[in-house]
Amino acid sequence: MTGIRFDTYDWSGGREAMLRFGPDAGPIVIAALPLFEEANRTRQFLVTILRDLADHGIGSVLPDLPGTGESIVVTGEARLRDQRTAYTELAEQLGRNTYGISIRSGALFDTDAALAGRWQLSAQTGEDLLRELDRARVASRSAPANETEYAGNTLSREMVADLRDAIPVAGTGPLRGVRLESDPRKADAKYAASPLWRRSEPDNDTALAQILADDISHWIASCER
Amino acid sequence: MLVIFEGTSQVETTVRAVLADILGLSADRVSAFTADTPLFGALPELDSMAVASVLTELEDRLGILIEDDEIDGEMLETFGALVQFAASKALV
Repeated sequence: MTGIRFDTYDWSGGREAMLRFGPDAGPIVIAALPLFEEANRTRQFLVTILRDLADHGIGSVLPDLPGTGESIVVTGEARLRDQRTAYTELAEQLGRNTYGISIRSGALFDTDAALAGRWQLSAQTGEDLLRELDRARVASRSAPANETEYAGNTLSREMVADLRDAIPVAGTGPLRGVRLESDPRKADAKYAASPLWRRSEPDNDTALAQILADDISHWIASCER
Repeated sequence: MLVIFEGTSQVETTVRAVLADILGLSADRVSAFTADTPLFGALPELDSMAVASVLTELEDRLGILIEDDEIDGEMLETFGALVQFAASKALV
């Protein structure tokens, strides 16, 4: 039941790959990774959470959004606008009992989707994301090949513009924001752990994954009541 | 004066924790850092991407703002220099 399955989904702009975990019946979770480098650092961690959720009897999907993962859309042509459309259309296909869970800038994709609830780990705004990408460029002290190259990713001007004023959803429907104890910002719950998304070498934290899967399954149960 | 010393040691603790978390160093290794321990150029884990992550994480945890034109080699030369820089921002 908890085995990983490979699947695809269609949206108005094409077809993308996705992973599926757990049962098909009952509430279902769409999981969203952060954009760019942080996705590499958190993918294994998010997959561990989804496997743990399957053990709780909650099914989930981890879609590649256009311009991420195995997508044939190259990073330089990725648009947040299209990623939001793909996410929204996938959520429609999954039905009414769909919950969004996200890590960091993954919280920027679900703004137009009709979700039963949103769970965000250390949600990040587009402005903060761009600031971090800019800083990596400053720290490397090398002149970029062009002004839209950020730490090895070439972004279109349109993508940068999309991100500049992108903020996570707040205030519509059930929303649970979780952060790490080292983060002074407000949150519904805080857990002691180190931020995997900033780790220079990708790592996993199976203990935290289990705690978060418990948090998510309790939260979904309370939303379903 | 006591308040300033207490504040500095809190900043120092935060800098140690951030280096351990971002660079994946053991608590033992990081707790052995002294003011003279060299950082940038001496720790292979500390590449330019990691520098950006360390500074941004310090901003978040200490509630400070580091301007891009303040980022130079000197502040990252030693553990002591980084603590001093962070303290100058945090304790104003």
